Amino acid sequence: MTRLFASELLKMRTIRTPWGFAVAAVGLGGLLAAGHIGSPPKEGRLASDYQFDLFLSAAFPAVVLALLLGILLFTNEFRHGTISRTLLVTPRRPTLVALKLMVGAAAGVGLALLAVATAAVIAVIWLGIIDVPLQIGDEADAVWRSLLAAALVGALGAAVGGVVHSQVGALVGTLVWLFVAEPIIWVLLGLVHIGGVADYLPAVTVLSILDTHGQNLSFAATAGMAVVWIAVASALAVIRTSRRDIT
Amino acid sequence: MIEVEGLSKKFGSTIAVDDLTFSVHPGNVTGFLGPNGAGKSTTMRAILGLVRPTAGTTAVLGKRYSELDDPARHVGTLLETFDAHPGRSGRNHLRVLALAAGIPRSRVEEVLSLVDLREAGKRRVKGYSLGMRQRLGLAAALLGDPEVLVLDEPANGLDPQGMRWLREFLRALAGEGRTILISSHVLAEVAQTVDEVVIIHRGKLVRQAAMGDVEAMAAGSTTVRSPSADQLAVLLAEGGIEAILGEDGRLSVVAPPERVGEIAAEHGIVLHELTVERASLEEIFLELTGDPGERGA
Repeated sequence: MTRLFASELLKMRTIRTPWGFAVAAVGLGGLLAAGHIGSPPKEGRLASDYQFDLFLSAAFPAVVLALLLGILLFTNEFRHGTISRTLLVTPRRPTLVALKLMVGAAAGVGLALLAVATAAVIAVIWLGIIDVPLQIGDEADAVWRSLLAAALVGALGAAVGGVVHSQVGALVGTLVWLFVAEPIIWVLLGLVHIGGVADYLPAVTVLSILDTHGQNLSFAATAGMAVVWIAVASALAVIRTSRRDIT
Repeated sequence: MIEVEGLSKKFGSTIAVDDLTFSVHPGNVTGFLGPNGAGKSTTMRAILGLVRPTAGTTAVLGKRYSELDDPARHVGTLLETFDAHPGRSGRNHLRVLALAAGIPRSRVEEVLSLVDLREAGKRRVKGYSLGMRQRLGLAAALLGDPEVLVLDEPANGLDPQGMRWLREFLRALAGEGRTILISSHVLAEVAQTVDEVVIIHRGKLVRQAAMGDVEAMAAGSTTVRSPSADQLAVLLAEGGIEAILGEDGRLSVVAPPERVGEIAAEHGIVLHELTVERASLEEIFLELTGDPGERGA
């Protein structure tokens, strides 16, 4: 399993797309961190949770990128026809799904690390210049939440790719779910006075790990629910991938 | 050893493989032959666990492919569809496979040299020609120094030199006791390479035979040209040999040339031509695999 995981990581490192995602995570993370520091007045920068929010906002694009990269990690196999060779080396398909989930999680952590590292460099320099003291505790809390969210989202993306093998279908479907379907469901649930159910929807659940404002569920419940969604998607991915003939 | 037992595969209402049974033995190169669409690739993919059989079983080295430990070290495969990411270099493609199978990195360089891609190994695969892609596929198949090779149309895209190299290489591997199955839709292409053939048509087994037996089927009639063709035809008929006199004055005789020559000599008949007419391997293949109307489709 270790060899297969290392091989999947090498597979990811030896094409350009993941590096493009890494550049995007650094660029967007840095941009949001700079905006977060530069826009409020000095009193705002001293407010409680300010540095916590700074790191979370810098990591947010990395988490979205982790979802997309997770999808690509699986669907690329079908798009480029490399799935045949992959299954000849790893013929047990549930093992392949598990590997892709692990690589998706690792890729998510990598992207989030790059984003928060960029934010940290900007914060240390800029806040130091304007004499705002660093709050290491808040920052550390934000960093591990970001890494956890990115890992879970990366794995979820890989599982989605394992269910919907068409790359375009998986990407478009995910974006439609995130930005159209789930918000509509969220509103409808509110209209019928069961808005609390919306806290358990996939995107709300996973992104709540990052966004603590207005969160109804405890952190443990949020993370646990995210794991449940990943488990559901993974089970579907195993069924779908196992039944597919590679012709 | 590869064993296929009662294999059937349906895609919707289309029967791709129909109750197919054959085996491939160590030390032999076995040609898996049939016209396009006969079910060769589907059968090979079923052997390799890529396609789920509707019925029947397949086994490689006594087990289902998915049950083999480190299958890439035991079974080398080349499939008809290209299976490397276009954005990855040839060398990295092989490194990924080697790492997954626990094969030392030095072996990557060995197989790249073997297929003459060492210089091109650093280039991204999307810039490779068809022949280079095929050679990269062969390098991937040989990476684990496997006991069994399953190669789907391995000569596709190779130049004559490459085809000759492949032929000699496969013969050498079979000489080491390995099991080799190669598919082709052209019998003549593999005739010099294979010891045995498995011929299928419309998913069904047509014949499994030694290559020598197939070549024997090609032995045909004898053509004779003589100023006394009428007289020779009568003498041959008296000897129970069928002879047909053509409009061009040539006799077409269903007998070996030695027998025709002896009868002519006994009766002092002058011969101007005595030629063995052999059916080509392709004609035999076409005869075994259906009517001309279907082949043209």
